[in-house]
Amino acid sequence: MVSRRDFFSRSVDGLQGAALAYLLGNDLFHASPALAANAQRLYDLKAKTPHHPPRAKAIIQLFMNGGPSQVDLFDPKPALTKYAGQPPSRDLASEVRAVRETGGLMPSPYKFTKHGQSGIEVSEILPHLATCVDDMAVIRSMFTTHLAHEAALFLMHGGRILGTRPSLGAWVSYGLGSVNENLPAYVVLDDPKGPPINFIQNWQAGWLPAVYQGTRVHSDGAPILNLTAKEEYPSPIVELSRNLLRRMDTAHRDQRPGNVELEARIANYELAARMQLAATDALDLSKESQATKEMYGFDDERTASYGRRCLMARRLVERGVRLIQVYIESQIWDNHNEIRKGLEYACGKTDKPAAALLKDLKQRGLLDDTLVVWGGEFGRLPIAQDPGPRAGRDHGPSGFSVWMAGGGVKGGTVYGATDEIGYRAAENPVSIHDFHATILHLLGMNHRNLVFEREGRNERLTDEFPARVLDAIIS
Amino acid sequence: MDTGRHRLSLLSCAVAAFMILGGRPMAGEELKSPRFESSVQPLLRQKCFACHDARAKQAGLSMETRDDLLKGGKSGAVVIPGKANDSLLLTLVTSGKMPMGGQKLADSEIETIRKWIEGGALRDAEDSAAATTSMAKMVTEREVHGILSAKCWVCHGRTEQKAGLDLRTRAAMLKGGKSGPAVAPGKPAESLLLKRVAAQEMPPPKLQEQYSVRGLTDSELAKVTQWIAAGAPADDERPLEFTAATDPLVKDKDRAFWAFSAPQRPAVPEVQAKTRVRNPIDAFVLQKLEAKGASLAGETDRRTLMRRAYLDLIGLPPTPEEAHAYLADSDPKAYEHLIDKLLASPRYGERWARFWLDAVGYSDSEGGSSADEPRPHAWRFRDFVIRSLNENKPFDRFLTEQLAGDELFDYKAVKEYTPEQVDLLAATGFWRTAPDSTYSTEQNFIPERMDVIAGQVEILGSAVMGLSVGCARCHDHKYDPIPQRDYYRLTAVLTPAYDPFTWRAPSLNCGGVGAHCDDNNTRYLPLLVPAERDRVQSHNAPIKAKIADLNRQLELKAEPLKQKMEAERLLTVPAEIREDVRKAWQTPKGERTEVQKFLLQKYEDALTIKLTDIAKADEGFRKEKDDVDKQIAEQKELLLPDPKIRALFDLGPDPPPQRILMRGDPTTPGGLVAPGALSVLSAKIAPYAVPQLPYESKTSGRRLALARWLVEPNHPLTARVMVNRMWQHHFGTGLVSTPGNFGKMGAAPANQAVLDWLATEFVRQGWDIKAMHRLIMTSAVYRQSSQSDAAAQEKDPDGTLLSRYPLRRLDSDAIRDSILKVAGRLDLTPFGPPDATKQMPDGEVVGTGRKNAGQRRSIFMAGRRTSAITLLDTFDTPFMNPNCVRRAQSTVSSQALELMNSDLVRQASRYMAGRVIDAAPDNARAQLERMYWLGLARAPSSEELGAAESALPAIEREWVKQLQVENPEEPVQARAHWLAVATLCHTLLNSAEFLYVD
Repeated sequence: MVSRRDFFSRSVDGLQGAALAYLLGNDLFHASPALAANAQRLYDLKAKTPHHPPRAKAIIQLFMNGGPSQVDLFDPKPALTKYAGQPPSRDLASEVRAVRETGGLMPSPYKFTKHGQSGIEVSEILPHLATCVDDMAVIRSMFTTHLAHEAALFLMHGGRILGTRPSLGAWVSYGLGSVNENLPAYVVLDDPKGPPINFIQNWQAGWLPAVYQGTRVHSDGAPILNLTAKEEYPSPIVELSRNLLRRMDTAHRDQRPGNVELEARIANYELAARMQLAATDALDLSKESQATKEMYGFDDERTASYGRRCLMARRLVERGVRLIQVYIESQIWDNHNEIRKGLEYACGKTDKPAAALLKDLKQRGLLDDTLVVWGGEFGRLPIAQDPGPRAGRDHGPSGFSVWMAGGGVKGGTVYGATDEIGYRAAENPVSIHDFHATILHLLGMNHRNLVFEREGRNERLTDEFPARVLDAIIS
Repeated sequence: MDTGRHRLSLLSCAVAAFMILGGRPMAGEELKSPRFESSVQPLLRQKCFACHDARAKQAGLSMETRDDLLKGGKSGAVVIPGKANDSLLLTLVTSGKMPMGGQKLADSEIETIRKWIEGGALRDAEDSAAATTSMAKMVTEREVHGILSAKCWVCHGRTEQKAGLDLRTRAAMLKGGKSGPAVAPGKPAESLLLKRVAAQEMPPPKLQEQYSVRGLTDSELAKVTQWIAAGAPADDERPLEFTAATDPLVKDKDRAFWAFSAPQRPAVPEVQAKTRVRNPIDAFVLQKLEAKGASLAGETDRRTLMRRAYLDLIGLPPTPEEAHAYLADSDPKAYEHLIDKLLASPRYGERWARFWLDAVGYSDSEGGSSADEPRPHAWRFRDFVIRSLNENKPFDRFLTEQLAGDELFDYKAVKEYTPEQVDLLAATGFWRTAPDSTYSTEQNFIPERMDVIAGQVEILGSAVMGLSVGCARCHDHKYDPIPQRDYYRLTAVLTPAYDPFTWRAPSLNCGGVGAHCDDNNTRYLPLLVPAERDRVQSHNAPIKAKIADLNRQLELKAEPLKQKMEAERLLTVPAEIREDVRKAWQTPKGERTEVQKFLLQKYEDALTIKLTDIAKADEGFRKEKDDVDKQIAEQKELLLPDPKIRALFDLGPDPPPQRILMRGDPTTPGGLVAPGALSVLSAKIAPYAVPQLPYESKTSGRRLALARWLVEPNHPLTARVMVNRMWQHHFGTGLVSTPGNFGKMGAAPANQAVLDWLATEFVRQGWDIKAMHRLIMTSAVYRQSSQSDAAAQEKDPDGTLLSRYPLRRLDSDAIRDSILKVAGRLDLTPFGPPDATKQMPDGEVVGTGRKNAGQRRSIFMAGRRTSAITLLDTFDTPFMNPNCVRRAQSTVSSQALELMNSDLVRQASRYMAGRVIDAAPDNARAQLERMYWLGLARAPSSEELGAAESALPAIEREWVKQLQVENPEEPVQARAHWLAVATLCHTLLNSAEFLYVD
């Protein structure tokens, strides 16, 4: 029996709808290694059973595009003061992007102090997030393998430096589906001031069915593309034409019995109408209290825009959206020069709203099963780029910091370490694949078993790379 | 001299330091790490020695000693000290693939191995110095080539040998260049190569960004040093004693699999439903159906068959006039004539080119980054495909031109190309479709170049051979008999043109730090067609003049400000030399004395005042500059690009040797391979043989050899894969439902007899594509109804046996083109550069169209990877990564939103309504009938007409109300009627019947 829920959104890998019925509810985690001849596979956003009991039901990824500088934010390196101005090692030099602008080692201009019961050290330019350290696991030993934004973003989101693979969010919605039949499972809140590099490819479904790609929700204006027409017909006309279409399609379907796809199409038109209401409600921030708005920084021009998106993220989590990615103004963390100015701008925009989100989730009891992840595609080098008064830092792939909170994460933890100067992950290095495996694990999925068959091959987010779950940061 | 000696002693120290520390200064780390004999060996003894001790040595691998592990087996080294994630041993035990058939290692055991490798893979009581010495023995010549190829060959290799130095072979290193031998075996301190590298003079930091190379890492320098210290031993390498056709890794039993042996023409079977058999296809299909007690559905009605044929062959619905004419044609051969007419239409090539372009991954942009650079000349390949299909070029010729058009004539010897020759060169655009990030200096390192080549090999595999060849890039194919060396044989076919160490930038607009592009270093050939060149030049000349004029005006305005700033900056020069510097600066560049040049070295940058500097300093000038810049940008938009051909061509003789790359990694080169084809397909056909081509272009002939091998009449796959693709687009699903994978993990053919009969018939008829269309479309299988009774559905539930014609949703291109066509807005201008797309403020991507001329067919709209037209994207236009052999078919709510709410479809509805009303201005019923004919190629039933006729006045009344509020001074009746008809047209464009084909 095909219920309305099944029609939320679906994609059929083939054509003959009659075959769909018997495949409904097929367990996609244990797809046979061999492709059954001509099997028609059905993809939808029905809620799926995870591999193991999940610690987090949803995930909010605060994506810090551009590459935040670890040694100025979460990874204090007093040794840099000692070595200030010394030329970089040969290994470091072989990883510099702008070779001709290479300077010597450069200490952070910021003071680090211990916070919370855990005493985790955080830079003075993150005063709000510093108050949340007891909920965070700070990973100081992340590394990636490419020095360009494009490739590093592809790796961070899709597991390979090739821009062809499904994003983490697409895998999550493929693996878990949605629990709200009127909203997308994977929502992207990008910044009206400018999209990240790689733009929509950051949330693409790649070769996963299109139903799993991220839905871009605008925080200003019409939230979802074509959710409503720019100039809507008068409402009686909308009603009349909808009725007429329903009659035409029902007659068409009745003349072609046994075609599940035609049924799905009709249901999709009904869903589209319901979505108009549900999405509008989910994103209507006027329903929030003044205190909440202030907490997220609505009253300050610097924090208002990011604050809106963080608050929308909370409202979407409350409504069962599985994964929300929040982006921030194009390359705001890409501080090649004038590091002080750039970092203080980026922190000023994000610090307060991000901390508010953690606290708000916590006070509503949502943090226990919502995983919040903060970080970018790489970090920055501990040397100066273009040394002098305008010095900044170039991309640093070999060691950087991210943090996770909520959803099964052991708060107050520091995991791994970079070397003495904060250049390379030295202790317990964490690859992007480890990072992905850990997130999937917290969501109740085993990265080895979350597979998609493509032209006879079992594809995974972690591909064939070794990947481990970071048990040490799980409570 | 003094300096030289000093450097030398410094270098000796450096070398000594490497010998001692091995470039790993972290002694503390090592102390903590596990050691081999005490921690790792006992574990391996228990779990691995059964197969991998020194005697058993499965896969050539002994694991008894640390050095055995470093040496590795057939798959290369299994442990790379310091790099756990790159070590095969860890990969295999982590994934549980090893121990084979045994219990997976415990996490703690895996962690021990990881830590041991990370700590440098040390033996008991061994420190890093000893380890470095003992590991030194392991450095081979090929490893050194692996390092130098990535860091040095760009200037000391195939096309350039700066300072007379070639670093591609050991012999050439010993010979050296202008400064003497580069390598002194056994004497690292005396080896010029090491001195220059150790001093970080080479690769020159100034050029590293531009050439996408970086200096050697500590471990790379240590390796080269160790190799030289050990006497720079030569690899004792002998070429393989066998070819692809005789490769012992592939056995005869492997070739017995149906897809790997040539199709045999099956005898046409006797069936019960003889009257239904129009051609052999029907007999084969009926045979399978009758075995299940089923049969074909009845023949569909003429109207349905007509609409099906139009949408199938040209991707557009018939006009009402065409529909009436066909339905009135009483000739018994009317249907056959219709097929001929449609096949002769230029619209046919435009439609079917789309499918081929999908398969080979055609895109109008590079991909690989957010810039998603356009590929401005790619369209000539698209046009070549359309023309070839329209003129019914035999498929063997079509394929050969794409693989090796440049090897079919001596293009270097020709002064002026004929149109056919232009097409031959444009055809090689086949090899230029994969996503390619290498236009950015930051993504133009060896691994990214390898990915481009891998993309092309993958496309060749899935589109032409129907095999997932790409799986063999890192290891032998897991399911199909494709050894890894077959993959590199295919790669070697491309090496003369796709040489990762002599790379051609993909775009004229290169980016990234230090980017530097010039015309001579790209992958275009000049279009030697004077008429076209002249046309572009005469178009561009006045625009360029205008731009030059604008620039001049700006310079003039800037001059006084510039002088003022120069004077200010001169003041920062110390007073003692200020006057000399000023004089030197005012002396024209060519006339400066040595002293002046020396003086200026320090001050030139400061004194050079750019327009941007002035704009920063002077607000008034900034505004003027912004204004002029805007005008210049507008003018530049009007410029036509210089005509060029985006092609693949050999870069000259002497390509680098092709090696197997262990785990696909260019830093771990394995054995040598010669160009060749897949062994599993090679046994029974004429072998891959490189022809001698006495051309001025010095092309290697390797690709021509591949083309000839592929179009061998008995080739097991080429014809099958192509007829399967045609079948797929006529019936929605191929006879093999995984068109890119005919291998063991692909789907078995639903009806192999049809496939093999068609494949052999295809070759027998001279690879005639249009003949195959006629054959398929005149079969009873194609002509049957999409409706069948419940009994038939039970016997063939998913329609695999073809007991009915499959109901299908139109693909994205057909949906957009059909909407524009019924709206009368389809611009049929063929060929040439694609029309641009743009993103609207709400995020919708639309085609920009031409002035008042509507919009062109989807195939002529810019198909960039990151910004597909939203309507196309929503209906599953593929994101080319690298190609698409079968489009997804989704049914998602965003499709409903797009068709209901997008401006594009609403506007099309109003245009459609205008046409409908104009056809019968005073007759609402005739208008509604016209609407049905236009959209659905049929008359409405009486109920449908009744429903529409009752809805129309109701909707009209609402529009009247609305318009009276909006524009009370205007007459509203006519407009309300038009909008009401538009509302109905909009409903029809949303209907399942419009979007599906029976």
